[in-house]
Amino acid sequence: MFDTALSLADLGFLAKGAAMTLAVTAVSVIAGTVLGIVFGVVRNQAGPYWSLPLTFLLDIFRSVPLLIQLVLGNALQSIMKLGWAPFTTSCVVLSLYTAAYCTEIVRGGISSVPATTRRAARSLGLTWWQDMRYIVAPLATRVSLPAWIGLTLGVMKDSALVLWLGLIELLRASQILVTRLQEPLFILLICGAIYFIISFPIARLGGYLEKRWSPND
Amino acid sequence: MKKTSVLAFGLVAATLLSNPAKADKLDDIISSGTLRCAVVLDFPPMGSRDESNNPIGFDVDYCNDLAKALGVTAEIVETPFPERIPALMSGRVDVGVASTSDTLERAKTVGMSIPYFAFEMAVTANDKSGIKTFEDMKGKTVGATAGTFEAIALEKSVKEWGAGEFRPYQTQADVFLALSQGQIDATVSTSTVAQSNVKSGKFAGISVVAKAPYDIDYVALFTNREEYGLINYLNLFVNQQVRTGRYKELYEKWVGGDVPDLSVNGVYR
Amino acid sequence: MFSYTFHWNQALKALPQMLEGALVTLQIAILSMAIGLAVALALTLFRMSGNRILNGFATAWVEIARNTPALFQIYMAHFGLGNFGIHLSPYTALLVGIAFNNAGYLAENFRGALKAIPETQTRAGRSLGMTSLQAFRYIVLPQMLRVAFLPATNQMVWAILMTSLGVTVGMNTDLAGITQELNARSFRTFEFFAIAAVIYYLIAKAVTLAARLLAARMFRY
Repeated sequence: MFDTALSLADLGFLAKGAAMTLAVTAVSVIAGTVLGIVFGVVRNQAGPYWSLPLTFLLDIFRSVPLLIQLVLGNALQSIMKLGWAPFTTSCVVLSLYTAAYCTEIVRGGISSVPATTRRAARSLGLTWWQDMRYIVAPLATRVSLPAWIGLTLGVMKDSALVLWLGLIELLRASQILVTRLQEPLFILLICGAIYFIISFPIARLGGYLEKRWSPND
Repeated sequence: MKKTSVLAFGLVAATLLSNPAKADKLDDIISSGTLRCAVVLDFPPMGSRDESNNPIGFDVDYCNDLAKALGVTAEIVETPFPERIPALMSGRVDVGVASTSDTLERAKTVGMSIPYFAFEMAVTANDKSGIKTFEDMKGKTVGATAGTFEAIALEKSVKEWGAGEFRPYQTQADVFLALSQGQIDATVSTSTVAQSNVKSGKFAGISVVAKAPYDIDYVALFTNREEYGLINYLNLFVNQQVRTGRYKELYEKWVGGDVPDLSVNGVYR
Repeated sequence: MFSYTFHWNQALKALPQMLEGALVTLQIAILSMAIGLAVALALTLFRMSGNRILNGFATAWVEIARNTPALFQIYMAHFGLGNFGIHLSPYTALLVGIAFNNAGYLAENFRGALKAIPETQTRAGRSLGMTSLQAFRYIVLPQMLRVAFLPATNQMVWAILMTSLGVTVGMNTDLAGITQELNARSFRTFEFFAIAAVIYYLIAKAVTLAARLLAARMFRY
């Protein structure tokens, strides 16, 4: 098993794949979070009845396999002749996917702020915006952050699926090397180890923050 | 008065500039200076990667030839099998040079040229399975690349035999990986691919054992269904490749052996 | 803008075939969930056992399941194990992959749920003469399952979504496998995958609804 044809250049190829994984994840998580915050606030403001269409739409992204979403998104952009590169398509679909989950997290965070606290803020003369900015945002962030870290890691792992559209990310890079070198187990183990090394410390950080910031400790 | 005539002149000029017949895809390719080809790169010897992970293969050379004929530069866009059509539809590629079987079902969606290559089907088996002929596969676990000509034919055979199991994998590479691991006992693939994989020496314990009694799999270049100008050009290009001996030359370079006949007896086209 | 004409009538002809695939999808999801729950319980007990080897094993399982992609786990179950001469059929590989993933996440859920149950209760049980296993079975477990029920429902939906990854290991009888085959044959990607998306959505909703009804019955106070 240690007698391998894997060269330094191939490790570089894997590293490039990992960089692609991280790039797709970063773009999708940032865009998805911004969208998620907007949708979350809208849902909170509009109330369950008026935000029903939005709720339904976002629910679709959480109830259909990501693989199907990616294929559909790609087919749709091709039918509309948008001519997006696989990277763009992947990021757009993953961003919406992230936004759908992030909305729930944001909504949970906002509703965890006691109504009395917010009323107190408003009766002190704060505007809605000030209330959101100085009262709700700091409190809700504490509650939501661990879940948000979980989401980020989830997106990082789910981003493996973009290989379907031809993007050479970590898993696809490993498959290409497996095809050429025929050492499936060894290369796949390295691939798994890279995922683990990226994911594990962040997951631990999330767990730590959760423990530290949980309300009644 | 003066103002109106200027306006009229402008209008006429604008019409003249924008009117000359709607440019079709052939014009677009020539004026853009690049030909973007969809090529499948885990399908040796038609498309694969060399040591520094650059694209090589019959299809890659074929695309380069086409670009040269058009007087433009070629750009190879790697597409996995399932991605070929979306890539074309979205305008990310102009032409598919991707060993695509010209089935009637697919021709409902894309426009096919005349065949530019023909595959014979061969049975490759894991040595431990004891499979020596096509009929030996009855009752065994067999696999092929999902959605390909041979996969459809093999799945039909398995159904007719009423025994054994058929497994479609998404890439040719996965099929051979599964075969060498013994996950499947045999596969039917194009004989060129089979020979190339066995010869590569990367897969231990597999050999090409027999021909499969399937129709010859003619593969075509494809582009958008409505681009008649381009399809015409592609047809002539394929014809010229054969006429000039370039087809034979490429065949010897990548495959070797008897050059497959691209015409069908007793019918036009 | 669209030069693409949809061929819905052709795609809809494949609906019965796709619905059959949906049944296979549901079957794998349910089986993987049942196995996942059983293994997760075992892993939870291992973690509570205080035995270092058992605890290490359980922790490793949970961390690997949670920190690598499901697609990787399924690929590994088929091609990774195949390297050792362990041959799982696509169906089994998919089932094993998802069950492995389910077990990891459920075990973590259980651990969270356990925290919500004061240890004094176990001690009270023990002082009433229960064995530690009895105390776990009759006092801790029912409460743990109650707390963990909602996350487990989410995991069930996840399991359904994960079945779609079987196509990468040669699965062709589940919904995604059948859809992909129809697509490869005709190149009508959008139509077939759109129908598949609707079916997945309906399955996911049906499962969520069923879980809610079940919870309402099971966890009445």
